[in-house]
This record gives sequence, structure tokens and C-alpha cells, in this order.
Amino acid sequence: MKRWRWVALGAAVVFAVVLGLGAGSVGLAPGDVLAALTGAGDATVRTIVLDVRLPRVALAVIAGAALAMSGATLQGVLRNPLAEPYLLGVSGGAAVGAVVMTAAASVAPALVTAGAMVGAAIAVALVIAVARAAGGRFDPRILLMAGVVVGAFANAAIMIVLANAPASSVRGALWWMMGSLADASWYDVAWVAPLVVLGAGFLWARARDIDVLALGEDAAAGLGADVDRAARALFLAAALLAAATVAAAGLIGFVGLIVPSMARALGARRARQTLAASALTGAALLTVADLLARTLRSPAELPVGAITAVVGVPFFLVQLARIR
Amino acid sequence: MIAFDRVIVRYGGASRAAVDGVSFRAPLGAVTAVVGPNGSGKSTLVRALLGRVPVEAGRISIGGDDVTVLSRREIARRVAVLVQREEPAFPLPVADYVALGRYAHEGPWRATGAVTDPAVADAMETAGATALRDRRTDELSGGEWQRVRIARALAQGGQALVLDEPSTFLDIAHEMAQFELLASLARRGGAVLLVSHQLNLVARFATTIVLLDEGVIVAHGAPDDVMRGEVLERVYRWPLVVSRDPAVGAPMLVPLRAPSTP
Amino acid sequence: MHSYRFVSFRTAFRTAFGAAFSAALLLCVTACRDAADDRARANGIVDDFGDTLALASPPQRIVSLNPATTELVFALGAGSRLVGRSRWDTYPDSARLVPDLGDGMRPNVEVVLASRADLVLLYASGENRSARDALRRSGVATLAQRFDRIAEFGPAVVQLGRVLGDTMRAHTVRDSVYASLERARVLVEGRPRPRVVWPLWLSPLLAAGRGSFLTDLLVIAGAENIFADIDAPSPQVTFEEIVRRDPDIVLAGPVQAAELRAEPRWRALRAVREGRIAIYDTTLVGRPGVRLGEAALHLASVLHPSAGTGK
Repeated sequence: MKRWRWVALGAAVVFAVVLGLGAGSVGLAPGDVLAALTGAGDATVRTIVLDVRLPRVALAVIAGAALAMSGATLQGVLRNPLAEPYLLGVSGGAAVGAVVMTAAASVAPALVTAGAMVGAAIAVALVIAVARAAGGRFDPRILLMAGVVVGAFANAAIMIVLANAPASSVRGALWWMMGSLADASWYDVAWVAPLVVLGAGFLWARARDIDVLALGEDAAAGLGADVDRAARALFLAAALLAAATVAAAGLIGFVGLIVPSMARALGARRARQTLAASALTGAALLTVADLLARTLRSPAELPVGAITAVVGVPFFLVQLARIR
Repeated sequence: MIAFDRVIVRYGGASRAAVDGVSFRAPLGAVTAVVGPNGSGKSTLVRALLGRVPVEAGRISIGGDDVTVLSRREIARRVAVLVQREEPAFPLPVADYVALGRYAHEGPWRATGAVTDPAVADAMETAGATALRDRRTDELSGGEWQRVRIARALAQGGQALVLDEPSTFLDIAHEMAQFELLASLARRGGAVLLVSHQLNLVARFATTIVLLDEGVIVAHGAPDDVMRGEVLERVYRWPLVVSRDPAVGAPMLVPLRAPSTP
Repeated sequence: MHSYRFVSFRTAFRTAFGAAFSAALLLCVTACRDAADDRARANGIVDDFGDTLALASPPQRIVSLNPATTELVFALGAGSRLVGRSRWDTYPDSARLVPDLGDGMRPNVEVVLASRADLVLLYASGENRSARDALRRSGVATLAQRFDRIAEFGPAVVQLGRVLGDTMRAHTVRDSVYASLERARVLVEGRPRPRVVWPLWLSPLLAAGRGSFLTDLLVIAGAENIFADIDAPSPQVTFEEIVRRDPDIVLAGPVQAAELRAEPRWRALRAVREGRIAIYDTTLVGRPGVRLGEAALHLASVLHPSAGTGK
């Protein structure tokens, strides 16, 4: 990928972060924002910038990069540009875990996120078990179908839980399911960042496996790859990235699906290029989407998942139309 | 170099084995061709070599070592296998694609093969793909794509090359060029194992032909010995004659029209 | 030969263990934070989230994100100290002059912070916990209250009065509300108590149950709730069950009354056929608040038209 495009991507991320810090439901002068960042200026402005906006923007960057990298990996491993973490039931499982916790009412946020991660882990195990029972080998089509089935089952479970839950907790659960970075705190950033760095680092190191698996199982085996083991490891790393994001920010869709296509449209070809470009693009995209979510109908907030859908669907349709 | 020793492969629950006690060798310096009608087990042999199907009995060895004791990476360093169809899900520049052939030679945590690796340039040179370096895999014609695939296989650096139906999508010029390339690889000391249904080309280029029918070897030897009318007619279940054109210098199979056609 | 098992039990076990370990870690962190709260609890005011409030002086800039507390703040004479309210807080009329800060549930923390409040009144539901966390981290005091029953109203008023620095006025307000409740009770004493169905929502069909203060009001207003045997505040019920229990009166707001008159199936109820749909003012009877007494009297007059208003 050409050098200048990398620079442009980096600049896009920086620009998105600057926008995210400077704009919000409360109008702040740029000078005030800068002062707050250096620790000076009005105490309230400092609090807004450092304790409300900065962690939120940080989480948007981390979550956007994580979702995009997860999608890029899955699309390579499953050889399908429509693959994304949500199609594989990870989101469904995480949602069940979180909704069960929320519906139990008056539960600390930390327990909700723990529930989401456990739910995602169970969903991944279920998908693998279903695929194994159906074919035994790591067949992308079987895995995708198993994921859709597990996701559908998870949706049904959520509906049942919500139908019997008290009215007050339904709203909270629904908000979580639509995705929101509104509750972002440094505490969230502190535990999500290491998980994402871990997952991303693993994917970066094993990027050649993604390249080789993208050629097809037979070709990959012929080149010397241990197809089952490599695919499984990559799959789990991608699931970890998605689950961490879901646990922290609820269900934000379309990022894992469209960002890798954007990265490829920018010229990324090999796996490492695609991972890096996806991470940067995803970070910028989600930061801007979150900014729109909290400013379009200020002081009310829109679910960020709706914004990413509105941005993502037209792009995806254009890509679809271009396929020869 | 590659040896099959009484190999039996049975797909789960089937009554008839797909490959039933097949033994033959593909030595260095020769082109060995496996031919036979559809369903005779030709492709199954290739998949058994790749470890994609379970081997019920018998032994497959590469360079004298049983494949069950070799790691996949070690196998990949000795043998390059080209399956029939391959379509990358996402396009790559040709140079990057060929460099993937070095996968088995790198440590587990390195990036994909350096495009600047001399082995990559050599492989492209040998396969005649150097001019295609900067093109993308989804922009190539059938013949160009096949050349690039062979380049990648050569980049693996092994002494043996296994191809499953390599000329399926090629026109005459590309097909001939490909066979000439395979012959020259064998002349330079490599072992070429070829699965094909192009009997006439095989007869001209192969050192040894293995004729399979329903998982069993029916004939095995030099083209002149294997290309016999009665045997081929029985195996292919179609009336044919085997003739010899002096310009070609090898036996030539000519299928006849169906007898009831007016 | 190569093994074709895709996932070993070791891998599955390791995944489950990793997940359980992370969950346990998160639980420990939560517990540690709770311990710190216990120590402060001995001295200050404890709200419905279990948080402790220890203000050095009465708050001067108050944000109230809950219609019930907004009207209470005005009733307690501190309306001039309000710098923000939720968009649903429209009583009394002067509340409309207070800046609208948006939703009371999952409020916009940035906007609340920008109002520079020193006290934020929140509705104590799970959804507001993260807002509570964010505000407290930023050094703003929060008081989370929830009074869904008439019995809970009294202590809540007094608590709010303490926080605002005027306990005496709080007691006065409480006593006045309870006195008007008593007046309503007396007004309908001795009269026959009609059996009432109170559909709060038509689809899904939700009725007031014993768990709601609405049932308490009904009792004070001299009636019985046919669903008083169900504990939940607003349980989902089937229409057949309502028919089976054969209420004397259907209690509904004006919009709902029009809706159910238009729906043919409601004519299966004797009460509807006999025209005994009692319409009440939904803005008055919505939540336990300062106007509880008024609400009870209003209901009493609606359910017992011959009793007069007893004012």
C-alpha cells in the first residue's frame, strides 16, 4: 500500500480524536479544551474533557480497532468478505450473558461485563462444537452456518429473558444491545486495552497464517500450514477481540464487516497490511460515529450501532455492486 | 522420491475403497503420470499426500521418510502440491503470492516471505512468470495464473512437484508450454508427479504412466507399454484405437464415434 | 496418521477457565470498592443505591433528574436553587423555567457536569448506576432515591429535606400529604367498595397489581383492585382473566378510555356494557409525590361520584 495512504490513515485517526475531544453535547472553546488537556483551566471543563470525553474517545479508538481487526482476520480465515464477529455468534453469546446480568436488576456494571465475556466464550465453544459435530474439519461454510444458528438461538434466549424481566431493566438491556460508549470510564479502558493489545499482537505475529489460509485449506496444507490448529488459534484471537469490545461497549455492528473492505479498497493486500489498515480505519470510524451519536440530537444520545449501520450499509452496497 | 506402498484409502462408510492397494514410485529426474477415468482414485492419491483424507492402510513416503513422521512444514519443504482449483478469496500482487511459497521455511512468528528473497525471483524466472510480477492475481488469464501457481510451488524449494489436473483451463499454447516446463524440471533432477486425463500429452512427456481403474493399478510402465488399445478401451469403456504419428513420435489415442451413429 | 479432532478438551477447559478467572477477578474488584463505602456509611445519609452523602453545607446548585424529586424540591422551597431538570419534569409550572438537561434515565453526564451542580438527584434504577459513578468520580454529590410506594414517600421527603438543609419543612410537607390522604379515606368511609380493574397499558395488556402504589391509592379511595393478589407492580394479564374476575369499574385515562371503547372485545366486560368506565386525570395520578393527597381525593370522587370532593 502506498506510503502516502498510511500517512493519510494516521492523520485521519488523529483528526477523529481531536474532533472527539473538542466537540460534544457541551460546547467548549478549543482553547479551553487544550488547557484542560495540559491540566490547567476551569475545573469543570477539565473534568468534562479528561474524565468524560477522553476515556470515551480512547475506548472508541480501541474498540474500533479491535472490531476491525477481528473482522479482517475472520474474513481471511473463512475466505468470505461477509464474515464478521457477529455472524459467528460471538455477539449473541455476549448479549445473552449481559442481558441475563442486567435483568437480574441492580447489578454492578463490572458483573455485566463479566457476564458478557463468559457468554461470548460459551458461544464460541458452542459454535466450534456444532461445527465439529457437523463435519469435524474447519470448513468455513459449516462454521458460518453454525455461527448463525448459535446467534439465532442467543436472540431467542434474550427475548425470553426480556419478556419476563421487570420493565425498568428492559430499557437498560436494550440500550446495551444497540451499542453505546456513553458509560466509558478509565476503568473500562484499563481492562479492555490489555485484552485488545494481547489479541492484536497475536494476530500481527501470526499474520502469515491468515495469508496462507486465505488461499484455501488444500493450498494452505500444501504450503505446510497446520490448517486446523492455525485456523482455530486465529478464530479464538478474533473472538477475544470481539468479546472484549462487546463486553465494554455493547453490540456495535458493521465495523467488523465493512472496515476490512475499506482497508482493501485503500490498497491493503497482505494480512499484516490489512490488519494495520483495518485497525486505523476502524479506530477513526468508530470515533467519528460516536461523536455523531452524542451530538446529532444533543443532549439526547443515539445508539452508536445505528450510526455505524447508516454509514456502513451504503458503503457495503457500493462494494457489492463493484463485484464483477 | 515419492513412494506409495500398498496404500488403501476409504471414504467414511463406503463399501469400495477409493484407492485399493496402490503401489508405485515417482523418482527424481522423471515425469510420472497417473491417469484413469473419473472416479478411479487419481485425485484421492493427491489428497492423501496432503493429509486431507485418512489412509486406512499402506505407507506413503517422501525421500524415504514415512509422511506420518514428518511435520507438514517438512513435507512442504520437500514436495509442492498444486491442487486442481485455487482461487484466493482476496487478490494479491503476484510477487506477494509467489513469496507465500516460502511459508515452510520461515520461523513461526515472521511476516510472510520477503518478496526480495532470491528464491522467489528464481522461482518466477524458472516458471516464466517474471513479467507478471506486479500484476494482481485476479487480473491474470488462465495460462498466466497457472504459471504463477507453478512459480509459487517452485518457491517452496522442494525437489518434488505434484500437480492435479494442471491443464484443465489452458489452451493449446499454454498447455504445451506447461508440459515443456514440467519436462525441463524433471531433466534438471526434480521429481514430477502428474495427475491428468490428457492421455496424449502424457504419452509424449511422461517417463512412466500409472493407469488406475476403480482404485486399482491396471497398468504401469513406459508410455509404449501402457498405451495399448485393449487395455485402454476396457478401462475407459469406450471404443478407441491407439496409433502412432511419425511427427509426434509417441503413441496417440483416438476415440472412435459411437457405433450406432448413422 | 494425522488426528482429525478439531478441538481437544484441554482447549475447551482452558477457555472456560480463563473466562471464569476473569469473572472472578472482576468480582473481587467490585467487592473492594464496596468495602470502602461501608466505613463512610456510619456517619452520613445513605441513599437508595447504598451510597453515602456527607455534604458540608446545604447544596446551592441542584440538578433534579426525576419528576417526583423536582416537584418535591419546589414543595420544599428550594426551587430557586435548581439549575437543571429532566425533560419530563413539568410540574409545577415554574419547573419549565429550569434548564432542560435531557433524559432522567441514562442522563448525559457531560451536560450535567456543565451545569456545575453540587448535588444531582437521580432516580435509583440500575440504568443510572453508571451516571452515578461518572458524577461521583468527577466530585459531584449524588442522591439516588426511589419511592414507589406511599409508605416510602414519607422517609424520602424527610431524607431530601435533610440534604437540602430544611428538615422542618420536610416534615410539614409529609404531614400535609398524609393528612389529605386521610381526608380521602374518611370521605369514602362506609361506602360499598367497587371492584376495579386498572389497565395501565393496552398492548401488552398490563394492569396495576399489589406491588404498585396505585393499588394503595385505590384502597384509600374506597375501592378494591381485582388483581390485588398479584405481587408485581404492573403484571401482564390476559383479557380472559379480566373477564373472569368481572370488575365493577374500569379505571382509565382519557386516551385509554377512548381506545378501549373503540376495541370491540372490551364490550365483553359487564362494566363496559354498563358504561362504568371511570376516567381519571393521568397527570395527577402518576407517581407518589407531593400531590398524593390530591390524587387520592381525585380518585375517590371519580370512583364514588356521589361523595363530593371533600375539599
